[in-house]
Amino acid sequence: MTSVELWNHCENPYPFVPAEVLDAVDSVRASLPSKYCEPEIAARLYDEIWEEYQLCDEIGLHIVTNEHHSGINNLWAASPVITGIVANMTKKVRILSLGTLITVRPDPVRIATEYATIDVISRGRLEIGFVKSGATEMVSGNANPMHIREREWEAIDLIEKSLTSHDGPFSWEGKFFTHPHVNVWPRPYQSPRPDFWAATSDLPTCAELGRRGYVNTLLFGGYDRTRKAYDAYKQARTAAGLPRAGEDRFSYMAFCYIGDTDEEAMRIGQKIPWFLTVSIKSAPQFSKFQPGAVAPEMAPAAWRGGASKRPTDLSVASLIAQGQMFCGNPDTVANQIKDFRQRVGGVGRIIMMTRQGLVTHAQAQKSFNLAAKEVLPQLRDLPPIDDEATIATAAE
Amino acid sequence: MMKVELDVLRRGSGRPILVIHGTNPVSPRAPFLAPLAEHGEVIAPSHPGFGATPMPADFETMYDLVNLYQDVIDDLPGDNVTMIGLGFGGWIAAEVAVTRPAKLARLVLVDPVGIKLGGREDRDIVHFFNTTPDELTRRAWHDPAKRPEGCYGLGWQATINDAMTDDEMVTLARNWDSLCLYSWTPHMYNPRLKVWLRRIAVPTLVLWGESDGIVTPEYGRAYAGLIPGARFETIPAAGHHPELEQPKMFVDRVVRFLTEGT
Repeated sequence: MTSVELWNHCENPYPFVPAEVLDAVDSVRASLPSKYCEPEIAARLYDEIWEEYQLCDEIGLHIVTNEHHSGINNLWAASPVITGIVANMTKKVRILSLGTLITVRPDPVRIATEYATIDVISRGRLEIGFVKSGATEMVSGNANPMHIREREWEAIDLIEKSLTSHDGPFSWEGKFFTHPHVNVWPRPYQSPRPDFWAATSDLPTCAELGRRGYVNTLLFGGYDRTRKAYDAYKQARTAAGLPRAGEDRFSYMAFCYIGDTDEEAMRIGQKIPWFLTVSIKSAPQFSKFQPGAVAPEMAPAAWRGGASKRPTDLSVASLIAQGQMFCGNPDTVANQIKDFRQRVGGVGRIIMMTRQGLVTHAQAQKSFNLAAKEVLPQLRDLPPIDDEATIATAAE
Repeated sequence: MMKVELDVLRRGSGRPILVIHGTNPVSPRAPFLAPLAEHGEVIAPSHPGFGATPMPADFETMYDLVNLYQDVIDDLPGDNVTMIGLGFGGWIAAEVAVTRPAKLARLVLVDPVGIKLGGREDRDIVHFFNTTPDELTRRAWHDPAKRPEGCYGLGWQATINDAMTDDEMVTLARNWDSLCLYSWTPHMYNPRLKVWLRRIAVPTLVLWGESDGIVTPEYGRAYAGLIPGARFETIPAAGHHPELEQPKMFVDRVVRFLTEGT
């Protein structure tokens, strides 16, 4: 039997820059002047979201933090800082940092130190997520966008060794990172270390996550891409002779709004795709022409067609149909999640992006309450997925 | 031992003229090729990761390029090699010349990057990867409308059109990736090179497009001043790629320099 967990992911967006400003600039990330960020408004946003996190702690929704930089989409900026605050203000739920930008930050040992500290503060409630990053983050963080996948794996390996070595200093002389004296204090609360997650739909990377047993999470992958990613994970485990992964190894993030009625949820949910319509506008040098953005052999398709995999129809109905949004009354959403779980071959951790775009504090709290009280009970003790039947469904 | 395979474009015969390319390899359609080849054998390799040259494993820094081009010079016939470095290739050529290759006789640097001159908040070199293609085009060319067909300098993204083949696009993407790998940070310069330019021991001509907005003629004049005995000349109505915008004047200047005192 599987019980699906619900996690709350808020990026703390800043949707208060005048539209004429956003229309006039070529990028709302990386280069938007900070004079458009009013500290008093930002402080209020932080307060509101702390309240939402305290609510999540009371009602049993786990919490995700992340970071992006220099733009309207995200005020977290330093995931370990935010995660440390959340660790202190909550008592029960698990906290996932998804994550700090390990391909951008120069010293993985410092990252390991931050996470070990948070794990102790939270008394073992931390989960550590890895993201490859790219695009505007490479200029905001002054990181060479070439070879970042390779750099990411070396950073992960160094973080893992830093968190699990307790017998005095060790030395690391890798390709991307060198450190002659690694000795992290405090050591993590959890043993041997907090669980690792990684966000990816890249199939070879999913396979490596499978061999390592990390949680594989996808963002807005929809049915097919998610299914393929999870399959690559499972097949790699089978090929390596490893035991079958439980559904807790699979996670999926979607937009989510839950209302008393489908009509109410759809109306408020339509404020969420601001994330796609406004907050990701970025200049060509940060997107399709950034080195490493696409493999050279993919360049013709990217340059001719614009290569956007984003849906062109951003209505709530369309996003729901593509498996990128869960939205409706509690029963509707529970059924959408159960259907998604069937179609992708099992998923144990659903991450809801709810306080996004123009959704207000009160609206977010309402959705969280309904998620915890009316959706979550419907996701407990679900029967196992019949993989054969699922494959047949997918084939149809 | 690492073996590096290079795709090389050759034109003409006689004294070896090694051309070290910049943003993109020297195009077979480059208008300076034929007139320059009347005065020697033009030898223009594509750097590892550019054009048809493979990228060897773990080859990824300026240090690798400098050692590679020392090998290339060692393998050229005779002992009278002229090296011409264009833009980013000018940086490579300056680094190589500092090592005093035995066969190197003359050096021409054309709008080179590679050194830091201004204060810590002054940007000497426009960031290639953090600037819009339109802005790169505006800064790199005196008259972008007259870019020679099939030759790609900075701002090449603005020239992408439906007539371009997939192979051309794949090559441009590969060149851009490789350039980034070599040069992201510090961006387009080696903090130590400025100090060692004084070791360059061959006659040197520094040529600069008067309208270059990527690295200005003032930067070029100072650059030349750090190389013992170097001569600095500007080319009117040309930007960062004078060899493409004013090929005749470019070749005239180079040939005059090569034939002086011989």
